[in-house]
Amino acid sequence: MVSIEELRACAAKLLDEGKVKAVIGYRRGSAGLLAEPCVIDQPADTESLIWDPGCVHNLALYLVKDKKAQAASKTPDKRPLAVVAKGCDSRAVAVLLQENFFKREDVVVIGVSCEGTGVVDARKLAAKLKGRTASQVEFDGADGFKVTIGNTESRVPASEILADRCLECRAPSPVLNDVLFGTAVEQRELAMPFTAVKAAEAASEEERWASWEHHFDRCLRCFACRSVCPMCYCPECVVDSTSFVITAETSAEDKANRVRWCERSAGSGESALYHLTRAMHLAGRCVDCGECERVCPVNIPLRLLNTKLEMEAFEMFEYQAGRDVSQASLLSSFRDEDPNSFVR
Amino acid sequence: MEKILCKESFAGWLAALKGYDLYAPAFADAVWNHARIEAGTTPELDHTNTVRSVKEFAFPQREVFFRFEQTKGGAPTLTATVPDPAPTVIFGVRPCDGRAMPRNDKVFAAEFKDPYYWARRDKLTLVGLACAEPHSPNCFCQALGGAPDAEEGLDILMTDLGDRYHVKGVTGRGIEIMVRGSDAFDEARAADKKQVQERHAAARAVGQRGVNDLGKIAEAIRQRFDDALWQDMARTCIGCGICTFLCPTCHCFDINDEVICQSPCSGERVRTWDNCQFADFTMHTSGHNPRHDLGARLRQRISHKFLYFVDNHGTQQCTGCGRCISECPVGIDIVRVLDTVSQP
Amino acid sequence: MLNPAKTMTPVQDDFEPKIVAFLCKWCSSAGSDLAGVSRLQYPPNAVPIQVMCSGSVSPLYIMSAFKKGADGVLVSGCHPGDCHYMKGNYFARRRLFLVQKLLNFVGLEKDRFRMSWVSAAEGAKFAEVVGDFVRDIKALGPQRRLKVRR
Repeated sequence: MVSIEELRACAAKLLDEGKVKAVIGYRRGSAGLLAEPCVIDQPADTESLIWDPGCVHNLALYLVKDKKAQAASKTPDKRPLAVVAKGCDSRAVAVLLQENFFKREDVVVIGVSCEGTGVVDARKLAAKLKGRTASQVEFDGADGFKVTIGNTESRVPASEILADRCLECRAPSPVLNDVLFGTAVEQRELAMPFTAVKAAEAASEEERWASWEHHFDRCLRCFACRSVCPMCYCPECVVDSTSFVITAETSAEDKANRVRWCERSAGSGESALYHLTRAMHLAGRCVDCGECERVCPVNIPLRLLNTKLEMEAFEMFEYQAGRDVSQASLLSSFRDEDPNSFVR
Repeated sequence: MEKILCKESFAGWLAALKGYDLYAPAFADAVWNHARIEAGTTPELDHTNTVRSVKEFAFPQREVFFRFEQTKGGAPTLTATVPDPAPTVIFGVRPCDGRAMPRNDKVFAAEFKDPYYWARRDKLTLVGLACAEPHSPNCFCQALGGAPDAEEGLDILMTDLGDRYHVKGVTGRGIEIMVRGSDAFDEARAADKKQVQERHAAARAVGQRGVNDLGKIAEAIRQRFDDALWQDMARTCIGCGICTFLCPTCHCFDINDEVICQSPCSGERVRTWDNCQFADFTMHTSGHNPRHDLGARLRQRISHKFLYFVDNHGTQQCTGCGRCISECPVGIDIVRVLDTVSQP
Repeated sequence: MLNPAKTMTPVQDDFEPKIVAFLCKWCSSAGSDLAGVSRLQYPPNAVPIQVMCSGSVSPLYIMSAFKKGADGVLVSGCHPGDCHYMKGNYFARRRLFLVQKLLNFVGLEKDRFRMSWVSAAEGAKFAEVVGDFVRDIKALGPQRRLKVRR
């Protein structure tokens, strides 16, 4: 078990000794059962840190945000940041290090092992409750949760409301950490890699398209999937066109003809381009933290697109994102024996 | 007009509404949303609240203003595309969403009467359903002058009495569809009315989240425009568009020309939802962005709802539906923000 | 060489597919030129877009072509080992392997996307690749899945 007291003490010590400028962790939110991310800069505030199955967020995102903010600042604070990281989150840190987005000394990873469990999927829970919201979810032994709705408590097996990514997780302990809380677990009992994507693949081409057309049509283009993803750090996304330079000489025709890969309109065609391009940009980089799927307000199974590519990368190229900071990235490397039979 | 509708007679009422497009909440993909229903079916109306609000029935995410075409050397031709939808009835509208519509109406009729909005709005009949209890822990309608049984903005208010509904015609448009289905209704007796009052009182008595000093908030926002608290509260904001796209009163939009073909030049001028949380919302052509960070964007969202709208229209642009709290990926909580701003 | 038996297969006569062909400047584009100067007969459905290297074809180009209504997309480059930039076609092969898997995963028909190696000397192969592609796409009919609807 992760000792939250020890974790708090560790965070307070890091701040006290001035080793980090802030600790990014989880605290109890006011918005429902899930925790909320917090940035703590005072040792006393570490008392609010928590660790429970509602700590779903991938906090590596805030390392990216800080790096960007410092790069834009005239007086950057270059002290390192500490981050509470689960197995998946630590893989995200590893990919960011692999891509030289920041340096190892810029980050202190406070690893937490998910051990036998994982985090709760609020949508699965809501689906069980037909949209109603639970007020609290707690671990209840290794394979179950205690769910509180109003005044009633019930016990739900972990396999029913654990996030898919946790059920399929192959590395529940942080691969990369400076300090680890909880027991390091190599392989978990529940691990069923690629279950969801294999189930989706089993459908026929027509069924697959019918399902994805339905999903792409529902996309609101709120871009929460992109905003929450630690790997989506491009200064400008291809679906926006904010860097088109306009001068006094720019004609109306130039403006009208500027490259716009994607229109603002939501709809199946535009949204398919956005989601498929995004999936390709994450090929070999997605660490399966499942955040894109979790935040989607209309519940599009976005994780499937990424795990499909993750599965191909694993099976065809023996590549796993975030496994090793020193490995060459999936798409900037190749082998002679890469599949060639699909090429005419 | 007050009537009683036995739940078995619901289908009979709908059958009488020939020529109308009918919508009711449906639970699909683990979320509640409005779905088309056929006359003769019986909607269950056991929903919480839809993720997407009713605003899109008058203000869809994509609206074509006109089509254009120009052959080389010829004069451009424009084709008007003001919509002419069938009269539409939406069942199960929660009172918070009902109260949102008059606020949207103010915006689209204040200076200019928006023909696209009103072409749809004038065909819309909103059949509300009083809440028996808050459908989410983040409901705060009563803090903003609403109620679980508020009639404002609704054409009909229905109250669930177990095996039957109490149906109250609020506007002429609402009474019209009740008259059309008059065979399905029974007269409401004094005992029924008493029961309705009891239900409403019980629903009002259930605790909701509250907003402190609502009257002082506008001034507090004005005073604290440059306060560091905005930055502080937006520290974990990821800058996605969930809060505004799902909001029943957010109405900002963008207008683009979507060129379909270069030669002959043809395309559409399109209005799409836009979002003050996106970086390109205020981006100038020079590249300067006056709202350059998430703190400024959070301030804008709150100021628009609780200061500028109050100045311009005499009411808050928020009805306490709680969507922006429940769906926020990182737990940014508008009630907490308001309390923080109004605390000296 | 064109295989007469293949090209004679009856298909929907009224449908002429539009194919966007990204051809590398050094091999495939030259190969298509050779097909032309050799006066080989092959269907005129492919719109060639010359790129510097098959490795420079972003997945975005492919998605965009489908979005704008292409019935098929062809990416053609130098044979492995022959890349003008040494490694570009190897990168392309790995990347586009994933693209075709992803496109099919969401339900786009397998035959809508194709990759080929055509050298500058292989005018006949280019004609055959395009001929086969057009035949296969004619059998599928117009691409409507990823095309934007207005």
